[in-house]
Amino acid sequence: MSHLLELHNISKSFGALTALRNLSFHIGEGEVVGLLGDNGAGKSTTVNLISGIHKPTDGYLTVDGRKTAFTCRSDSAEAGIETIYQHTALVDSLSITRNIFMGRELTDRFGFLRQREMRDIAMEVLQNAVHISGIDSPDTLVGNLSGGQKQAVAIARAVHFKKRVLLLDEPTSALSVRETEALLNQVLKLKAENVSSVLVTHNIYHAYQVCDRFVIMSHGTKVFDVAKADTTISQLTDYVVLT
Amino acid sequence: MTPILAESAAPRSRTQRQSILKRIMATPAGAILLVFVTLQIVCIAGALLYPDDFRYLSPQNLTILMKAVPVLGSLALGAGVLMIAGEFDLSVGSVYTFTAVLMASLVGAGLSAFLAAPLGILAGVLIGLLNGQITLRFGLPSFIVTLGGLLFWRGAVLLYNGAVQVRFDPESAFTSLFSGTLFGINAAFIWIVLFVIGFHFLLHRHRFGNHVFATGGNRGAAEAIGIDTNRVKLIAFAIAGGMAAVAGILATARVGSVQPGQGAGLELQAIAACVIGGLSLRGGRGSIVGVFLGVLLIHTITDVLLLLRAPGFYLDMFIATLIVLAAIFNHLIERRGLA
Repeated sequence: MSHLLELHNISKSFGALTALRNLSFHIGEGEVVGLLGDNGAGKSTTVNLISGIHKPTDGYLTVDGRKTAFTCRSDSAEAGIETIYQHTALVDSLSITRNIFMGRELTDRFGFLRQREMRDIAMEVLQNAVHISGIDSPDTLVGNLSGGQKQAVAIARAVHFKKRVLLLDEPTSALSVRETEALLNQVLKLKAENVSSVLVTHNIYHAYQVCDRFVIMSHGTKVFDVAKADTTISQLTDYVVLT
Repeated sequence: MTPILAESAAPRSRTQRQSILKRIMATPAGAILLVFVTLQIVCIAGALLYPDDFRYLSPQNLTILMKAVPVLGSLALGAGVLMIAGEFDLSVGSVYTFTAVLMASLVGAGLSAFLAAPLGILAGVLIGLLNGQITLRFGLPSFIVTLGGLLFWRGAVLLYNGAVQVRFDPESAFTSLFSGTLFGINAAFIWIVLFVIGFHFLLHRHRFGNHVFATGGNRGAAEAIGIDTNRVKLIAFAIAGGMAAVAGILATARVGSVQPGQGAGLELQAIAACVIGGLSLRGGRGSIVGVFLGVLLIHTITDVLLLLRAPGFYLDMFIATLIVLAAIFNHLIERRGLA
């Protein structure tokens, strides 16, 4: 059986530094995977690799069982993978609508924007797909939103463009408690719609709330891969801390 | 019941008034629009009260204003688009002179002005592309690259033409197209209004404009989403160069000659108009209407000071104060936006 996304024996070196060694794991359809590990374990390199920013030195990726090589971010986006970084993904000086459609604007054949249509869609996505508290209009500038609201906009963008996997890189580190709850609920809601998520974090408690499975990395490779039912927080902590 | 209703109605209307003011201020050109309208009201009231001493509304004065706006307007529109994309062009004043000299001398050599003018624009676009290529290829600050351009093209004018003025004798159709009058309105002013409308739609209603704002606002995010930011910036550089040449055409058609030193300082006035109009020096913010209002404001203040027979240095001091105040205001808006 082929999984949605699979890493096969991936290694990645930057000159003399080996960031990843023989890393293999998979992400199933509608599955929430927690990618855990201490600083320097290779989580960020893995994210960059899946989103197409880095190319593996050795090994390969498969999407739906088909071998693929991502050479840039738009390749991974085309395969349905959306990476949501903490800060970099949005333009503060543009409205929510314009951010959602940035680079993928709806236009007439002369390139002029179909503003009302985009606004209506943004409104609908914000209201139905993503529940963001405190946003009353898609015309709000993103710069006026809180950290959690910004991430929600980035997620709304992924949802609208029918992404299959969300890669959330340290999504909760800058969020308030309430925003964190909202974000984690969002992940579960998307799971119900068969969207997979990878939660890259070193906050085991947040991961434990929503993830179905945990992949723990240390020194560039996988040291533990376990379903939630078969583990406990203290066991996960031990693996992160002691390996 | 009644007193409660009255009490609840009063604050609502007050907040409504506040929110209208707030809403105007929140739009990209709102603050400058308020300043501009206020200034116009004061000027018009002054002109009506003292028609003999303050001839603001006299036909001669209005004609002078309409003739003065288009040149700085063209320069500021081009420089403004580039500024929103996150880059500067300090060379527009020199490019304006160079392309005007080029066009005038081509016409002097017997070429039709209807061919020479597009060639001038082409030269401006190519110079803009060159500025862009050097800036982007080597990852340099455009401030430095176009400072080089400012000096280089100023020198090139003297090399090509010497320090003498060039006469511009186009066919009369060309002159009336660019400096005639239509329904009493100066043709160059109509052109600049058309450019403002065109640029407004390009920047605020077109895909390209969205990419310009994204590129200037957060280049990393724009690239992550798949926008070719180098291409966007390169086109913006080309627009800045092309609009400098357009300014040259409008000025030359009006005056009938080109002075080799005429563009000096205009690049700074263009950037000043942009800043007064609400553009951020960091890029990604602002509006075309704001830039145009910035140009109108500079020329209105110039005009008022001239009408009041104030010495020339007052003008510089006024514009300087205005620039700094506008920059402070923009900075406060940005900070509030980021909070």
